[in-house]
Amino acid sequence: MLNVKNLRVLFNTRNGTTVAVEDLSFTLNAGEVLGIVGESGSGKSVACYSLLGLIPMPPGKIESGSAEFLGQDLLKMSETELRAIRGEKISMIFQDPMTSLNPYMRVSDQLIESVLQHKKISKKEARQRAINALNEVGIRDVEARIDDYPHQFSGGMRQRVMIAMALITEPQLLIADEPTTALDVTVQAQILTLIKKLQKSHNLAVIFITHDLGVAAQMADNIIVMEKGKLVEQGTTEQIFKAPAQEYTRKLLSAVLTTSKPTPSLAEQTEPPFLQVKDLKTYFLQFGGALVKRLVHSQKAVDDISFSVSRGEILGIVGESGSGKSTLGRSIMRLVDAQSGKILLEGKNLLKLSASDLKKSRRDFQMIFQDPYASLNPRMTVFDTLAEPLLTHKLATRKNVLEQVNQLMDDVGLDRRFVRKYPHEFSGGQRQRIAIARAIALKPKLIIADEPVSALDVTIRAQILKLLLELTQKHQLTMLFISHDMSVVRYLSDRVLVMQKGKLVEEGETEALFIAPKEAYTQQLLAAIPKI
Amino acid sequence: MHQEIAGIQNLEQGVSLSQDAFRRLKKNKMAMIGLLVLLFFIVIALLTPWIAPYSYEGQNLELGATSPSLKNWLGTDTLGRDQLTRVMYGSRISLAVGFIATAVALLIGVLWGATAGFLGGRVDAIMMRIVDALYALPFTIFIILLTVIFGNSLILLFMAIGAVEWLTMARIVRGQVLTIKKQEFVEAAVSMGLSPWQIISRHLIPNVLGPIIVYTTLTIPSVILLESFLSFLGLGIQPPQSSWGSLISGGVESMEEYPWLLIFPGLVLSITLFSLNFLGDGLRDALDPRASKD
Amino acid sequence: MYLFIIRRILQSIPVLLLVTAVTFFMVHAAPGGPFSQERNVPPEVIKRLNQRYHLDEPMWQQFFSYVGNLLKGDFGPSFKYPSHTVNDLIVAGFPATFELAFYATIFAVLIGLIAGVIASLKPNTIQDYIPMSSAMLGICLPSFVLGPLLLLVFGIWLQWLPVAGWGQIPGDKILPSITLGASYAAYIARISRGGMLEVLSQDYIRTARAKGLSTARIVFVHALRGGITPVISFLGPAIAGLLAGSFVVETIFQIPGLGRFYVQAAFNRDYTMIMGCTIFFAFLIVVFNLLSDVILVWLNPRLRQQVGGGH
Repeated sequence: MLNVKNLRVLFNTRNGTTVAVEDLSFTLNAGEVLGIVGESGSGKSVACYSLLGLIPMPPGKIESGSAEFLGQDLLKMSETELRAIRGEKISMIFQDPMTSLNPYMRVSDQLIESVLQHKKISKKEARQRAINALNEVGIRDVEARIDDYPHQFSGGMRQRVMIAMALITEPQLLIADEPTTALDVTVQAQILTLIKKLQKSHNLAVIFITHDLGVAAQMADNIIVMEKGKLVEQGTTEQIFKAPAQEYTRKLLSAVLTTSKPTPSLAEQTEPPFLQVKDLKTYFLQFGGALVKRLVHSQKAVDDISFSVSRGEILGIVGESGSGKSTLGRSIMRLVDAQSGKILLEGKNLLKLSASDLKKSRRDFQMIFQDPYASLNPRMTVFDTLAEPLLTHKLATRKNVLEQVNQLMDDVGLDRRFVRKYPHEFSGGQRQRIAIARAIALKPKLIIADEPVSALDVTIRAQILKLLLELTQKHQLTMLFISHDMSVVRYLSDRVLVMQKGKLVEEGETEALFIAPKEAYTQQLLAAIPKI
Repeated sequence: MHQEIAGIQNLEQGVSLSQDAFRRLKKNKMAMIGLLVLLFFIVIALLTPWIAPYSYEGQNLELGATSPSLKNWLGTDTLGRDQLTRVMYGSRISLAVGFIATAVALLIGVLWGATAGFLGGRVDAIMMRIVDALYALPFTIFIILLTVIFGNSLILLFMAIGAVEWLTMARIVRGQVLTIKKQEFVEAAVSMGLSPWQIISRHLIPNVLGPIIVYTTLTIPSVILLESFLSFLGLGIQPPQSSWGSLISGGVESMEEYPWLLIFPGLVLSITLFSLNFLGDGLRDALDPRASKD
Repeated sequence: MYLFIIRRILQSIPVLLLVTAVTFFMVHAAPGGPFSQERNVPPEVIKRLNQRYHLDEPMWQQFFSYVGNLLKGDFGPSFKYPSHTVNDLIVAGFPATFELAFYATIFAVLIGLIAGVIASLKPNTIQDYIPMSSAMLGICLPSFVLGPLLLLVFGIWLQWLPVAGWGQIPGDKILPSITLGASYAAYIARISRGGMLEVLSQDYIRTARAKGLSTARIVFVHALRGGITPVISFLGPAIAGLLAGSFVVETIFQIPGLGRFYVQAAFNRDYTMIMGCTIFFAFLIVVFNLLSDVILVWLNPRLRQQVGGGH
């Protein structure tokens, strides 16, 4: 049905020309699901967008190649001819359903629009089709909701609307670009099942673009692996997973975490426990009213949570978005103010410290943040970033600070020669190493890592996780590891807390909890992990 | 030890964001031309008392208005005064108002906006309410009212224009401070136990500087415009002093017979506005964080 | 929505009160102002002032009676022309000013939006550079330079259009409207270009393209609503600038409008006239700010829901 040959796409930027896709060839048959797998910058999305002329041109340029779709070359078509294909024969769904629907238009109008564009039917018939399509993707109470605006739907529901919009014209090919990446795991599982079901019932061909090998394994018949614009390997899903031929594919597969923690627990019981959190409540209260202060809205982000952590232990905290896991971390860090409760670090209540005592105590607990692009001051060199905490807490003098900074660079595996460089000159993984170096600079006793690897590519993620394990051993760190990713938590933690809507759902030794979860919610979370 | 030294010798020097921005600015031809023209005008204005071809007051009634010639490059006005000399002295006033009133606006705006943004909460709400309320006032009209009541003086003009222009500056600075305050690197600085002053001086100010510089560059032309506007109406700079606005106003009266009396001051004003706007746009493009990511 | 409008109107009241108070007390503080008796003012005016303002009463009482009169729509007598009231002058001058501002706004929005949208469709090409350099020209040629130049070229040298007046000779409204609207057209072009570029880079525009919609439909149905948002928030406050701009344009083209009266009043130190006009202008500005806020909310379904209290 689709036959792409020697596709080459260039991007002209102010720093010169980069090749986004190099010599890419593949075929796709009717009713087949093709997974295209790759990390960021692999060109997997650009390749598919360029088939439909959806990359911005300029700066993009399709240099050469052909893409025969039902006997016609898409790349040789005029804009008008392409428009008749887009949305009619080939539909697309995108990553972020929040931004991919027009916030200014009613859902009904957006659905009807593509039918009216391509089919000669009346507005009334189109509306009926829209209602049917929404019913098919599992929107409840369609008649009442069809005239709502996108912001009135939840994330998962919005992605269902997107799918309905893509399928309403009954296309033959669906291109799905990371359709579940922005969603929570349990929602992801539902959407994947839905796509699979619709693919079967409509006998659709699907190109499924993803960075997640687990998702690809679940969805695809055949898989293409791409790296830096080039095709690395292609084959059936079974071939790729059972007998990968290429080094890069093997590297990708080995980066998928399916195992438990490779090192033994270093937890040592003490009395009192190293860190004790008792009845912690953090509510976000919003006040309004012109004359009299009144409570408009309260969100119980952390609602009465108690747990303790032993010295040297790695405690994983998992939950979906809105579970309050990050707020819990920030409350312990004293970055947000808790309503009530106790946080005892080696018996000392962090919530009761005076401002100056708190400032001094802060060297004992440090944080690693999620976004390595936002967590480093763009106007400070690596040296300044790492020297700042050392000089503030007088752990070094101006004279010997370089030595310690160099030591930190070695610790996190960065070349010493780069200390005078600025954050924007590093890659995401390297930046996260700098952020880790900053967190361990003060030789803290407790590290709180808030989704430290979720912004990173899989292969980089594996390296950073390994580094974190090494460092906890080397410096005898205790760590709270916050993540939405069950497999990452399993790989790293000794013990796990499961959170949902501000409450503690379940707590237990990692392996025990993964093998035999007690609570329904935990079971649901575990069932939602795509299996390879 | 030996390795240590070798390591330092191979040190790779980084390129900071501001160096990067300056490099981009240098590539922007219009902005660089704007900068050069502006510097040229400023130098001329500063040196005017020494290099002006004629004296400011010197009249030659017999001569009257003459068109541009070798003797009087930009011609003379109806009183026979050298137009070039008058434009040069006018530049001193117009540019001085532009820079000083902008400085006033900058000072008030940055202090106000940074305080509101940094303290947040109720203080912020109240301070920004005040700005919102002031925004709704007809300021140009107020300035006219002020000049009517208290008479025209340069000091009053500086204060009045500065007092109008600080509002937008305060809004921009507050917005920037709020955005940067939420960034994780500021949270990281808090969790390292830095004092508020250390956080402001090392993490906040360097990051809000860019937008402030850009907006300052774009405020100067609007201040110059406002002063010329008032002077054109006869409500700003009073004779014997003159600014571009009052020269243009004089030129309009006799433009049918002596168009050069309108055209030259108008040209100098427009060129200055062009230069400042191009420089401001260039700075904005160069400092845009979105541009520096790719 | 109605609740929002009412709340917004209530919020404007303190602003108007503030303007009135500041203006009133500033005029009071003026050395030799209308309320000091040392001035050489015709006795009949003094009498009328006394009648009107109860100058023998304490200042705050005078203020309240002034506000009371304002609420009845009475701006009081002119200080310079005993036979006129400020109301007379406003009624005489405002229609011309309003018409001028109206035409200028139409010109600015039409030209500005068209130029901005055209430029945004092909950024960094000739289709972008030409409208945007014209916009730069419009910003850097102030009305008091542009006006006389247009007058000189089209009125005096080419003699295509009349040089002065308002509504007397056909075509005499063209040059003033263009002069007043030009710099606003330029600002609107720049703002709408920026707004459109922002919106056109959004994901939902990519969705619309992936649906196979025509460029016209993408631009007009999907992008324009978000793209003109910054233009509308600019238009409200721009009215203030437009009114001030009318001072210059009415002076240059000798239009008997309120702006010209205001400048004359400023020269004549006609305090009551200035006070009345300032408050009148402030009122207009507040009204237009309110309108632009309401339109902004009305255009954005999310905001509409928020101000309506949600459901």
